[in-house]
Amino acid sequence: LSSGINAEYGEWSDVTPIPLPYNDREPVVQIMYSERFKDVYSYMAAIMQNKEYSERALALTTDAIELNTANYTVWHYRREILREIKLHLESEMEFTASVIADQPKNYQVWHHRRCIIEMSGDASKELELTEETLTKDAKNYHAWDHRQWVLTQYKMWDRELEYIDELLRKDLRNNSAWNHRYFVIDSTTGWSRGTVEKELDYAAAYISKAPNNESSWNYATGIIKKQSMKYTDFSNFKELCRSLHASNMPSPFLMSTLAEMYIEEENSTAASNIFEKLKELDSIRVNYWSYRQKQLATC
Amino acid sequence: SSGINAEYGSREVDESRKQEIIKWIYSLQNRPSGDDYARCGFIATDSLPGTLDSNYGHIAMTYVALCSLLILGDDLSGIDRESVVNGLKCLQLENGAYQCIALGSESDARFVYCAACISYMLQDWRGMDKEKATQFLMSSQSYEGGFAQNIGREAHGGSTFCSIAALKLMGKLEDMPTREKNDLLSWCLQRQQSGFNGRPNKPVDTCYSFWLGASLTLLGAQEFINKEANFAYLMTTQDRYIGGFSKWAGYFPDVLHSYFGIAGMFVISGEVELHPALNISMRAFRHWQDVSR
Repeated sequence: LSSGINAEYGEWSDVTPIPLPYNDREPVVQIMYSERFKDVYSYMAAIMQNKEYSERALALTTDAIELNTANYTVWHYRREILREIKLHLESEMEFTASVIADQPKNYQVWHHRRCIIEMSGDASKELELTEETLTKDAKNYHAWDHRQWVLTQYKMWDRELEYIDELLRKDLRNNSAWNHRYFVIDSTTGWSRGTVEKELDYAAAYISKAPNNESSWNYATGIIKKQSMKYTDFSNFKELCRSLHASNMPSPFLMSTLAEMYIEEENSTAASNIFEKLKELDSIRVNYWSYRQKQLATC
Repeated sequence: SSGINAEYGSREVDESRKQEIIKWIYSLQNRPSGDDYARCGFIATDSLPGTLDSNYGHIAMTYVALCSLLILGDDLSGIDRESVVNGLKCLQLENGAYQCIALGSESDARFVYCAACISYMLQDWRGMDKEKATQFLMSSQSYEGGFAQNIGREAHGGSTFCSIAALKLMGKLEDMPTREKNDLLSWCLQRQQSGFNGRPNKPVDTCYSFWLGASLTLLGAQEFINKEANFAYLMTTQDRYIGGFSKWAGYFPDVLHSYFGIAGMFVISGEVELHPALNISMRAFRHWQDVSR
């Protein structure tokens, strides 16, 4: 798909390139443009000036994007060409997939893909694409964002909880997967009392496997807080915490959760003892635990 | 702007060079097309002609242009305020979030932050529906207590900074309910392992010392940061031969991590005063106060 830009090529001889730089002011930090970059962009500028929306213009944007994948002006122009030409949407999906594979943290390519999907209405490849991207980097923020957008727009929830199970079996510390679980339930069944209980049991199983995993604790306590519920209402979860504590499990997350439970029960003495232990167990945050302790006196 | 923010850097730049840079920055300011302000703001670069129809202003560039001008001692008299503010209006979406360019882009907390900074620095909020923006940000606070880039997404150190700083600049941080604020504080503090990470169970990274350091400063919680542990981590990511900082020890340094390593150090230690919301030195901020009377 390369445009094969070369001043000698007959194909581009009707175009007068507009040479860089486009500014006679001295820049602060001069970018060391390669000759190829200057070549491609001088033709890109001319094409955009002439408002040419053609096959060769499309090929030129491919080169321009390769040279600077973050140039949102070029990406936008490419979309304008696609709207004019009206074909190519399927090969465009392939093109964006290859750019994503190469630069999975580039914002522009993900946005572009979203635009193409909105044009075509075809989101059938997105779960596979994001899954592939996440296999290489399980926490890629763009991939998760795209996946959540697709799920919300096109309502393809069927396999989602299963997929999360798979990810957590691979790595129970994958915080993105935990967040995604919250998102899926929030977007589908919502948080009935029964669902909350089920999800607390789910988190509890993972907590038992790895009691020092921040993600599973955040999930469990986050649900209760976000739904404005009380720890008191969930005896299974409370029992897990108490038994872990009884076995002297040195997990700061366990301890801070216990403190919250005691505060809810208005047992300041017990909460204070927990904070005292946290000052040593989680010593990097000693000032914070002292502050929490002092706060109890003023409640 | 990160290249010229550090106090040290700007003392080294002579006056005529400063004026040259100021002129170059202003050359990137777009004007409206009649009544159409969609192109307004500052463009990023001169690698494409500024005259091209689709070379629209970009919200992050407008933010950086304003900061850079202030750092260089400019009085902002060359800013076409009407255009910038009207241009901002074009970028806000129905749900309160901002995109970065009127031609269309992703929308998230980063650009709400840019909008808030621009509006604050121009002391003109007509380009921003603050209530909608606040609602968008608050809806992006996840069950974990931190802020995500968007509703339903994962809480993240970068978006947490953007959200807290934007709320602060809009005067809305104080309205945050107690429970939400406590959860936010707890999540932010939990990011510190030695330096800071951006999300649970992810490795620490130099730049998060700023994102979280500034966040915690804005929350009035600086005293809960372990300064020594943070400093010790940052020192391991400094390159002993080239200078600068990388995100992890032993990696190649870059401008972003060098800036945020230094900024993180300053915002946490208070040794050189940094405005924790605008992310400019207090020296530049005081200059802004002078020219904004």
